[in-house]
Amino acid sequence: MKKIPKRIWTAAALCLLAAAVCVYLGITFSSMWKDQPIYPGPGVTAVEMLSDYNPGLKGTHGDTEVYVLDSGKPGAAVLVLGGTHPNEPSGVVAAVALIENCQPKTGVLYVIPRANHSAFTCTDPQEGAPMFFTIETPGGDRTFRFGSRATNPIDQWPDSDVYVHRTSGQTLSGSETRNLNRAYPGSNSGTFTERITYGITELVKQRDVKITVDLHEASPEYTTVNAIVAHQDAIELASWASMDMQMEGMNISIEASPTNLHGLSHRELGDFTDTLATLMETANPSQGRLRGRTNADLVVKGVDKYYVRARKAGSVTVEFTEAGIPLDERVARHICGIEQLCNAYNELGNQETIELGGLPSYQEILTNGIGRYLSPGK
Amino acid sequence: MLFLKYVYLAIVALLLVLILTNMFKKDKFLYQLDAALVIIPLILRLLLIK
Amino acid sequence: MDIELLVLLAMLGVFLIGNLLLKLPVSISMILGAVAGALVAGEGIPIRHLFEGCFTYVDTILIISTAMLFMTAIQRSGALEALNALIVTKFYKVPALMLILLMFIVMFPGMITGSSTAAVLSAGAIVAPILLKIGIPKERAGAILAVGAIMGMAAPPVNIPAMLIAGGVDMPYIGFEGPLFLITIPCAIFTVLFLGLKYCKNLDIEELKKDLDMEVGKKYGFKLYIPIVLLVVLLVLTRAVPKLMPQLGTPLIFLLCAVVAVFTGRRFNAWEGGLEAMDTTIPVLAKLMGVGMFIQILTLTGARGYIVVSCLGWGLVALYIAICTIMPGFGAVSSYGAASVMGVPFLLVLLDTGDQITIAALLSFICCLGDLMPPTALAGNYAAQIVGLKYKPVLKHCVIPFLVCIALAVIYLLNSKYMGFLTR
Repeated sequence: MKKIPKRIWTAAALCLLAAAVCVYLGITFSSMWKDQPIYPGPGVTAVEMLSDYNPGLKGTHGDTEVYVLDSGKPGAAVLVLGGTHPNEPSGVVAAVALIENCQPKTGVLYVIPRANHSAFTCTDPQEGAPMFFTIETPGGDRTFRFGSRATNPIDQWPDSDVYVHRTSGQTLSGSETRNLNRAYPGSNSGTFTERITYGITELVKQRDVKITVDLHEASPEYTTVNAIVAHQDAIELASWASMDMQMEGMNISIEASPTNLHGLSHRELGDFTDTLATLMETANPSQGRLRGRTNADLVVKGVDKYYVRARKAGSVTVEFTEAGIPLDERVARHICGIEQLCNAYNELGNQETIELGGLPSYQEILTNGIGRYLSPGK
Repeated sequence: MLFLKYVYLAIVALLLVLILTNMFKKDKFLYQLDAALVIIPLILRLLLIK
Repeated sequence: MDIELLVLLAMLGVFLIGNLLLKLPVSISMILGAVAGALVAGEGIPIRHLFEGCFTYVDTILIISTAMLFMTAIQRSGALEALNALIVTKFYKVPALMLILLMFIVMFPGMITGSSTAAVLSAGAIVAPILLKIGIPKERAGAILAVGAIMGMAAPPVNIPAMLIAGGVDMPYIGFEGPLFLITIPCAIFTVLFLGLKYCKNLDIEELKKDLDMEVGKKYGFKLYIPIVLLVVLLVLTRAVPKLMPQLGTPLIFLLCAVVAVFTGRRFNAWEGGLEAMDTTIPVLAKLMGVGMFIQILTLTGARGYIVVSCLGWGLVALYIAICTIMPGFGAVSSYGAASVMGVPFLLVLLDTGDQITIAALLSFICCLGDLMPPTALAGNYAAQIVGLKYKPVLKHCVIPFLVCIALAVIYLLNSKYMGFLTR
């Protein structure tokens, strides 16, 4: 019998090893595919799906829950988007806290906690990000996923070399093709990501949503943090809300949505629908470029020595001390911001009002932690 | 553009076959190790895991 | 001392020991460096993180591999030789013009795809034999290809580091053409004339013709050039009319053209061609895997933050020094990584010093130069492979053009406030 050469043995052994690594990685990576439970609070009257607004999403990883909190009394509709970028965790946590606590007194609140559902199923390469983080609640730990900025490539691939925004023709780096917040107003025949934004745009149109709030976070070194970015039609609303937020002890600024930067929710929803489109940014050290060790602790506690140093050196404009910027504070800003935007809408003399009830105040969340307002789970 | 995804998966499959064939043809262990490294992300993409 | 500094030193130390002392391949040395960093940081051996870092390069793997398939196909079909003969016989009388034209040909695929690798492997492969035949030494020819490809990568319309930097500060990728042309074109012309002109002042066309294959072009005629023409047409159309043209992506375009080349010239065995192409590509792809793991561990352990914050903490003069040294140096790991990790915070600090778009464009240009930095030196590596050398002698000849490029970029950076008119 002919002797099998050594190279065949070594190649076969390496193939087996590679297969074993693939199995291990397959189990590890797929652990992010399962949705973490959300426990609808007393205010939730229905749970719709985004595919109700764009049937093309049905059965895909782009389909996601739309929680409806209907007061039963006439009033304005408000839409809150969490998890547009799942690597900006205060958005999804604030949205979940709304679902589990809010009880509107007038009008309807729509909450999409996982706006880019697909992006929750992976983490970004070369970011060293944790896959999960936990928040302590009175009844035990509650786990959340720390996802990716963009749609999972297994759902939308390949990226074009250059991303050409559909309605404006603006060009961006190819990696932005999968960025939900560059894909508005979307298209029902477009890419996977554009079909999601099309669903959201349809929801805004069909439900006559008066205010849209897209919850985000940004690197602390970025110029637009602790800010409300508002479409030109929503500037007055955002200004009123920011004054109330400042009175509650928050440092917050207003930024006008740039007219030449396309695909963002505050630009396109404002241009293509009648909604007052806003976006809120908090400072998240776990996505910054200056951060030190990256782990779940950084996500939740927001403590980072390099940001403290960068702040002292004047490279970071946002206040960053040894106490860090914890998730509690970032979520508190979002929840308070949403409430104040609704209050401002009412104060501006609109006939239809939206009154949110059941929400903890900014100070209460800072004092008790956001875990106190999350269902302990089952 | 869904079909494009499958075209690209086919390209990945083609590259995998070419790399594996080279891997079994070469005597140098470090070359084989290089090839084994490269096939891991390609396999995970082909199986739509990552 | 910060633990992150220890991690960084461990990673670099183990990498250097592996690569220089133990003579292990760059890929394996980088992986060992990454594992050492993770161990020092107390992360154990984080297999998930190590391999997750590689996924940034899945698309790059596809571009490099299909570009190599294309290059091998046009070599075997005879298209390359025919094109060389054509260019030399048409332009040998004005060597300076010929060299500049050849440089633009090298740049072109880089301008369209934003990838220096694609430029070296497609147009570089076409131009290299011409440069060698007119008498330019191998190492200089390699340097011309490497720098030319990088100028193409940095030149508009597609400059991916510029897009990454602009995206990082929510600046639209508009108005970059002026400053990018103003820096890439002079640098490209300087490089090709500096490295090549003295070797081709008195060209003897009859001597040259002996080395050129004048027959293959005549035998197959225009048909032979169809794959190259198709490549140019598809790349240009997908950029020029993106709404009408389906976005096929660079890898598919390369592959389609490689398949066409099988039928348009000399007959060759496509399977063997494919195997040969991948054979030379595997070590470079493995190097990318090592780089991916290295960056992931740098980020995970905080060593990346340590590097960036250290650069920012030294004041404006030191920042300019870091821009000239550490930012292209980071290109040794990845020029895209340099743009995203260092380009964005550097731009934020420099925003008030002049015209913002010009500054972003110049930072992206310096990031692109990182593709010359060993050990990855993507452009240098492939250029060396094409001229049949190791990359060290090639990179040696890139030093002066590299320094000239950096110097010009800094002069522009310091005067960016006068350059705003270019961005309108």
